[in-house]
Amino acid sequence: MKTKVVTILTLLIACVYVTTAAAAGGNEEVESLVFPASYKAMSVSNGGTISGMVKFDGTAPEMKKLEITKDVQVCGKTDKFDESIVLGEGNGLKNTIVYLTDISSGADFPSDAKYEIDQKGCHFNPHVRLLPVGKRLTMINPDRINHNVHIFSSMNPAFNKSQPGTRRKMNVKAVKKAEGPVAVKCDVHGWMKAWIAYIPHPYFAVTDENGKYTLENVPPGTYKLAYWQEACGTNKAEPVSVTVEAGGTVTQDFTLALK
Amino acid sequence: MKKQSYNTMLISVAGLILLLAVFPIPVLAQGKQAPAASEEGKVLYEDKCAHCHGVDGAGDGSAAENLLPRPRDFTRGLYKIRSTESAQLPTDQDIFDIISNGMPGSSMPAWGEILTENEQWQLVAHIKTFYDGFEDASPRLIDVSDKVPYSEESVTKGKEFYTNLGCVDCHGVVGRGDGTSAPDLTDEWGFRTWPANLWEQWNYRGGSTTEDIFKRFIGGIAGSPMPSFISSFRLGLTDEESARMNELELKMDGEGLSEAEEEEYAGLEEKLFMFEDIMLNVEEGVELTPEEQTKLDTALKPIFEKSWHLANYVKSLGPEERPQAAVGDKVLRSQYREGTLPGMNDEAWNEIKEASYFPLVGQIVIDPRQFNPSIDSVMAKSFYNDSEIAFLFAWDDRTKTLPQADDETGETVEDALAIQFPVKISEGPTDPKPYFIYGDRRPVYLWSWKVAEPSTVTEMNAKGINTATVQSDQSPIQAEGVYKDGQYQLWVKRSLITEDKRNDVQFAPGVFIPIAFSAWDGANGDVNTKRAISTWYTFVLDPVPSNKRFVYPPLIALISVGLLFGLKSSVRRRQDT
Amino acid sequence: MQRLSLFTKCLIIFVVLWLFLRFFIGSVWSVPLPASVISMYLGLILLAILVHVSVEDDRFREFLRPVKETLADDDRRTRRTVLFVLIPLVMLGLSFSRLSTKADPPAVLRTAHPAPPTELEYRDKVIGLTQEVENPFRHLEKDDTEAFKAHVDNGRRVYYQNCFYCHGDDLDGEGHFAHGFNPPPANFQDPGIIPNYQESFFFWRISKGGPGLPPAATPWDSAMPVWEDHLTEEEIWDVILFLSEYTGYRPRTFGEAAH
Repeated sequence: MKTKVVTILTLLIACVYVTTAAAAGGNEEVESLVFPASYKAMSVSNGGTISGMVKFDGTAPEMKKLEITKDVQVCGKTDKFDESIVLGEGNGLKNTIVYLTDISSGADFPSDAKYEIDQKGCHFNPHVRLLPVGKRLTMINPDRINHNVHIFSSMNPAFNKSQPGTRRKMNVKAVKKAEGPVAVKCDVHGWMKAWIAYIPHPYFAVTDENGKYTLENVPPGTYKLAYWQEACGTNKAEPVSVTVEAGGTVTQDFTLALK
Repeated sequence: MKKQSYNTMLISVAGLILLLAVFPIPVLAQGKQAPAASEEGKVLYEDKCAHCHGVDGAGDGSAAENLLPRPRDFTRGLYKIRSTESAQLPTDQDIFDIISNGMPGSSMPAWGEILTENEQWQLVAHIKTFYDGFEDASPRLIDVSDKVPYSEESVTKGKEFYTNLGCVDCHGVVGRGDGTSAPDLTDEWGFRTWPANLWEQWNYRGGSTTEDIFKRFIGGIAGSPMPSFISSFRLGLTDEESARMNELELKMDGEGLSEAEEEEYAGLEEKLFMFEDIMLNVEEGVELTPEEQTKLDTALKPIFEKSWHLANYVKSLGPEERPQAAVGDKVLRSQYREGTLPGMNDEAWNEIKEASYFPLVGQIVIDPRQFNPSIDSVMAKSFYNDSEIAFLFAWDDRTKTLPQADDETGETVEDALAIQFPVKISEGPTDPKPYFIYGDRRPVYLWSWKVAEPSTVTEMNAKGINTATVQSDQSPIQAEGVYKDGQYQLWVKRSLITEDKRNDVQFAPGVFIPIAFSAWDGANGDVNTKRAISTWYTFVLDPVPSNKRFVYPPLIALISVGLLFGLKSSVRRRQDT
Repeated sequence: MQRLSLFTKCLIIFVVLWLFLRFFIGSVWSVPLPASVISMYLGLILLAILVHVSVEDDRFREFLRPVKETLADDDRRTRRTVLFVLIPLVMLGLSFSRLSTKADPPAVLRTAHPAPPTELEYRDKVIGLTQEVENPFRHLEKDDTEAFKAHVDNGRRVYYQNCFYCHGDDLDGEGHFAHGFNPPPANFQDPGIIPNYQESFFFWRISKGGPGLPPAATPWDSAMPVWEDHLTEEEIWDVILFLSEYTGYRPRTFGEAAH
């Protein structure tokens, strides 16, 4: 009897237990310049000159004003514009590279030349910089604010160094390979953009504000002449043939339209 | 036996010392070299890597389109995480380490426990074939030998550099990645890039040791906007000389320099450029004379020291590990408080030491989906009293986005937060909760907050992902939202019980109430279903420790004494009879 | 040495089993048993012991003998006094701590094997009986290896465009979204997953997701999306082929018993 009671009791306890437990992106391809396979520097006497003007075909598009999003007290002193098309007198197109594609020997670069890009007012000047292979570039920062120099090389090692306000002048190491044009940007100020072409010989020119260019001291001979322009592209597939005579001057103009 | 093993040890230690002496330290630090590229590596790459990085290594695999950061394009030789100097290729060991450890905060997983060491080296070898430059590369290592140990003093110095060197431009004043340049950043491929939120060290791509931070600072993060900052200091000048140069430059920009000052400035500049020239020679691969090397090493020493201070400061900002999510021991417990509940800026909130951490992920259930959420988590604290409950929510967002048209879609985007509760709290574990994104036939109750009206929380109900409707009669809810230094804080207060019991959740102490979050970062294109979400968590209004505990236990003790004596006498009585 | 009394033996058994449940299991599995489960087991053990001692009157008397002696015998006075003080104190402590500790949040659990519906559906179309439908491309494994590979490759694409966020690059449930889910996403490298289910089961779980789970699967808060909203029928079958090809585990076929 007792045992039964205990058994039932324990069963009851157990039952209680059991129941409770429970983008954006994609940079457009930049068309590269054409460089000779090799180039031999020598002294050139009695060279000729190629000069001319690059004109923009059509009505000038309105230059897009860039939005200054920061450091306005420094960067906003002057208005900034998109510089892909800058026109001068007679629709002359600034910032076009005009160059010989197939020259294999000729003059050397002037030894005393300086290669600079100024960042004054958060704007790169020049917009297109020719830089000989093996030469250093000097970046100038008179703004007393932080910039960074970001060069989008791919043949040469890409470069990205900070240039704070305390680095008024900063030299950038020389590169070994001809390349370009490659973009230069300042990531701190996203609107800042310029181009660098690392060139192997001196027969490259950038058109001035009126679209004029000059290639001097060209050894006599027949060459292919090409252009590159940021917004209008290049004629490198069908360059123009020019013949330079000793001491002579050849004029070659170009008329470019938007790509 | 013992002696023998002791000897063996002695010999191996001696051998090791000999090895260290024979090989200069930097070579050892370079780690292992990858074997020659092999078919085995190619097959493995195509099985494990190609779906993101592409068969040809161009970062264009089938999954790439939906990923940000994009899988790396190996064809340009740009490697973010390196132990090498700026504009240098990584070492083989660097590539191995990334494969092995993965890149936290991105979709790159750690393969270290999945693949054998040999397999990982085969992958390193194959990845190197995508870029020619590796063939004759001998990258220079960043010297990490003179580490400055962590100290309060070092952190203070580092903070000064952080502010003065321009880190704030992208990473923001306190480091939450909310700098003024942050919204416009792209990488070298033109894809949107966000600066690191330095407080979320568990998301540092290349690891968050002080050494890791130091290397990113000296070497930069190739392909991204993060530059090398080694150029930030005036190499070779003493602090005094540098300060003098500052002074002269300020004067130059102002009234102009006297002739003597101009000369002085030119002298300082010349000294700086002399050292810079040595440095550039190194970068250009020119062999230095021992004398030049000594000069450079001496000039770099103070720069490295400053960089270590900076690394120590960054290190001081946050915990290394992702906080544990608000489950189990870490569950959100609303604390009982007598009298008025603390307001937004009340010191009382600091009494709750640790906010509960609710991780968010992208909403990828319903189109449009968010594959790359920019909001890591929501943190929460709560107090309640006899009639009301107050919450303080915080979440990091690099940009304050008021209603504006999205660059890509043109839709109006803005920053917002929704806090979700079920209307009816499930009774017991077998009673289903509403679907975790805005409910199903079981409705949810929402508090919707938008940046344009920071002092308003709107009551809503939803019975499915696209069905949220504003309640017609709003219960009085007090709210206050503030954006500061890359972080939103939202304070919300409601009565425990409301009149609209059919549509509002009712808060009662001791009950575990499901809670979930949706967060929109307008600058990241978040709108409607494209947003960051959490799954259901629970929280509880921690019951006031009741006075029962002073009544029942003594009673129980008394009863047990009584029972024991009762048993004793009953046994005795029986023995007597 | 004195023989142990039945009561002491029972006490020892009880304590050893409690230690086993409380500490040993927790250290073998990484997760300790919840307190509620332990108390449920202890209840059952107590029940078993009491049943054992109470089935025979003699044994029960033997069991109670030391208890009675302690309660009543004069020569056990010291022991009795100690117990009469200790037991109420322990009761006091236990009940006090019980009333003072905070309640545990409800556990979130994955249901081991939720029952699929009888009919397998894609959107509103009935494919057939879940117990009968086979992967329509499985036969290609033998009949047309090229075509089979194409299906697996398509499954791979589908997987890395949709699934790997949670289920991981290596199908190990450790995707970069995995930390946001509780319980964690399924780990297909776990030998207990793929070989234990038929392909039709995976089709059901993928196409209907968390919302398709039967009420009996509660409290499993599956965050699995309803993939039939995004994927075609063929893509779902393909991704199932990929899961098995990548891991090397074959889903259970019909007629084959679960392990």
